[in-house]
Amino acid sequence: MGVVAEVERKLARQRCRQEADGDPELRTSTMTHVVWAPPKWLPRAKRVLAGLAERHPARTIFLVPVPGRKSGVEAEAVVQDFAIGDGREVLSEVIELRLSGEAARHPGSVVLPLLISDLPAYCRWRGRPDWNGQALDEIVDVCDRFVVDSNEWQGVPGAYDPLARLFDRAVVSDLAWRRGLPWRSALAERWPGIRTIERVSIEGPRADALLLAGWLRSRLRRKVSLTRRDAIALVGIAVDGDPVTPPARPALSGSDLLSAELDTLARDPIYEAAVRETAA
Amino acid sequence: MPQAANPLAQGLGVRRQPDPCALVVFGASGDLTKRKLLPALYSLAFRGLLPKRFAVVGVARSEQTTRQFVTAMRQAVKQFARDPFRTDVFESLAAGMRYVSTDFADDGGEDSVGQTLDELDEARGTGGNRLHYLAVPPQAFPVVVREIGERREREGWARVIIEKPFGHDLASARELSASVKRWFAEDEIFRIDHYLGKETVQNLMALRFANGIFEPIWNRQMVDHVQITVAESMGIEGRAGYYEQAGVIRDIFQNHLLQLLALTAMEPPIDFSADAVRNEKVKVLRAMHTPGPKSVVRGQYGRGWVEGEEVLAYREEPGVDPRSLTDTYIAAKLYVDNWRWADTPFYVRAGKRLARRETTIAIQFKSAPHPPFESIAGDGLRPNVLLIHVQPDEGVSLAIGAKVPGAGMSIRTVHMDFLYGGAFREGVPEAYERLILDAMLGDATLFTREDEVEEQWKLVDAIVGAWGRDRPTFPDYAAGSWGPARADELLHRDGRSWRRH
Repeated sequence: MGVVAEVERKLARQRCRQEADGDPELRTSTMTHVVWAPPKWLPRAKRVLAGLAERHPARTIFLVPVPGRKSGVEAEAVVQDFAIGDGREVLSEVIELRLSGEAARHPGSVVLPLLISDLPAYCRWRGRPDWNGQALDEIVDVCDRFVVDSNEWQGVPGAYDPLARLFDRAVVSDLAWRRGLPWRSALAERWPGIRTIERVSIEGPRADALLLAGWLRSRLRRKVSLTRRDAIALVGIAVDGDPVTPPARPALSGSDLLSAELDTLARDPIYEAAVRETAA
Repeated sequence: MPQAANPLAQGLGVRRQPDPCALVVFGASGDLTKRKLLPALYSLAFRGLLPKRFAVVGVARSEQTTRQFVTAMRQAVKQFARDPFRTDVFESLAAGMRYVSTDFADDGGEDSVGQTLDELDEARGTGGNRLHYLAVPPQAFPVVVREIGERREREGWARVIIEKPFGHDLASARELSASVKRWFAEDEIFRIDHYLGKETVQNLMALRFANGIFEPIWNRQMVDHVQITVAESMGIEGRAGYYEQAGVIRDIFQNHLLQLLALTAMEPPIDFSADAVRNEKVKVLRAMHTPGPKSVVRGQYGRGWVEGEEVLAYREEPGVDPRSLTDTYIAAKLYVDNWRWADTPFYVRAGKRLARRETTIAIQFKSAPHPPFESIAGDGLRPNVLLIHVQPDEGVSLAIGAKVPGAGMSIRTVHMDFLYGGAFREGVPEAYERLILDAMLGDATLFTREDEVEEQWKLVDAIVGAWGRDRPTFPDYAAGSWGPARADELLHRDGRSWRRH
């Protein structure tokens, strides 16, 4: 039996078992959610899913590349149910595929038959992709939207250049960009005074700061120099030495950030311009 | 400089934020404020959707201080809001909260409302913009509107939200319109029908106009008939004074039910602007036949059992005339006389103390013309029904015939369900959140326009006019049932029946 048939059989068996518990259940999906998660990222990816799955009923496919020269795919599949009131439950499916050897370089052939037809497929790529790798190439081809967090990468801003090359193949988004949204709103409120700024000082993670500075340059069409103090989150911004009032909104969790990305499908030209500017 | 010129504002994906403003709630000590309005404001504040410079002024006869009002509203938010209580969010709202105790007709009292608003303009920067919410009995509308109009500021905008019922009949609706329009232009008047703020009602438009498969079959060629049900299991909840005057025809039929019908039957609007949508709804209302007496059934509930509890007859409710002829149930067969719907009946019904709370729109399609296995399929060959659940269980389901597994060719009807809460786990906003926010933004798409209201009253007046000539035998249905037997006959005469529940 092939791995896809094995997964489908496991899911079908569990669905029957779930239905036998007496509660009426619905199979509702809004997407296929593919997660590329090397072993060191897997626990964190699962924690995010725990806070996310209820909000986005989906088939989630964890792709876990594991060491080993022998090509192979090991599959686990579980059905999770979430109460939605009135004694009813919604079923979501979580598939974990451990890929080794050549199979880890060709995940497309396993993912493609497991995608839910006619619904969008999102890929959250954990860690820094191997830009020249076959795996990335195949995943980008089968997914509609490619979600990264460039704050997980070493080597920014250099890595934004290969990221920008993906823009014409899939809709790309970056959680580091999403995290900066409240600050971008706060900066936008400074218009028109902000029009002629020359310097921005940011206290926050490197990727978040680079993207904010790139955004200012691309939108204002002028040189804006960046100075940065490291912090684990965006905590302060000053333009030409003048501090910007911090946004009132509380910081979002990893699940909230990804959830927001999963609600949008269209390309974001403002983000793409900021990335290109940052990479330049 | 306009925001469009701000290159930093583009692509932020944030909703347009309303101008700074003060919301003035007349009737602030009432149930609506406590159960709906303040919880809605809190939810808007929770999501950062209110303007940064915002204030709420509660106005009512009840004697209380601002502090007492704030305390009561805090309790109301904790009890009725859909979001968890956050002190910082509530405090930001409470900082701009004031209460003025006054009689609506009292000039001095209205002056103190004006003074409070002026002070808030200074303290909160609300810029003279006022959104007046009339959560008061209908008879108080003209007085309150006049008092507001006479004190209208030159600076800033002023809008007025008026709760239903907008009039008692066509003549009173026109009179009320004239009194409001003396002070406010049509685009400043927001007649609220909270059904239009419900997500599922808006989803009806999404279902029809965002899906290519439905529009080609949404017509007399494919649809056998439509059933719209607005059923309540509760009684009049102590509102005898209002209900004795209104009855179900003015309470539900004139507004919610006819709005649902208009949205179901309307042509695609050219865009989602206020006038484009409302123009199409008005065309439907204008195209409706006045139903003859045989096409309308009214009823009134007697004693019965609802959800395991014995309940009183309508005439036994406190404050109700023991010989009352007020209708608590209405069913009607209506026609929309246009190219799309000619000869397609719309069966509508609404009532109190029915078997369960349910608002649904059922599009029943014509039967398959010649199923090849008719003789062996048993009684499972039923027409397809697209069922839109407005409340509860918000969603859409399609009834289709499916083969029962095994030998032979037995067919059984099964439901394919789309449950709103199943696919979208974000909490569905309360209707009042959407409507208050839209009114702050000046977007009247989900509010009823004067000509819509008039067309609705024309139909109601014609039906009620015919009732004056008969003397019904009330009560004629037991509480907890699905209404009077004559309502079933209304459909049986046409070889149809109400949907099974």
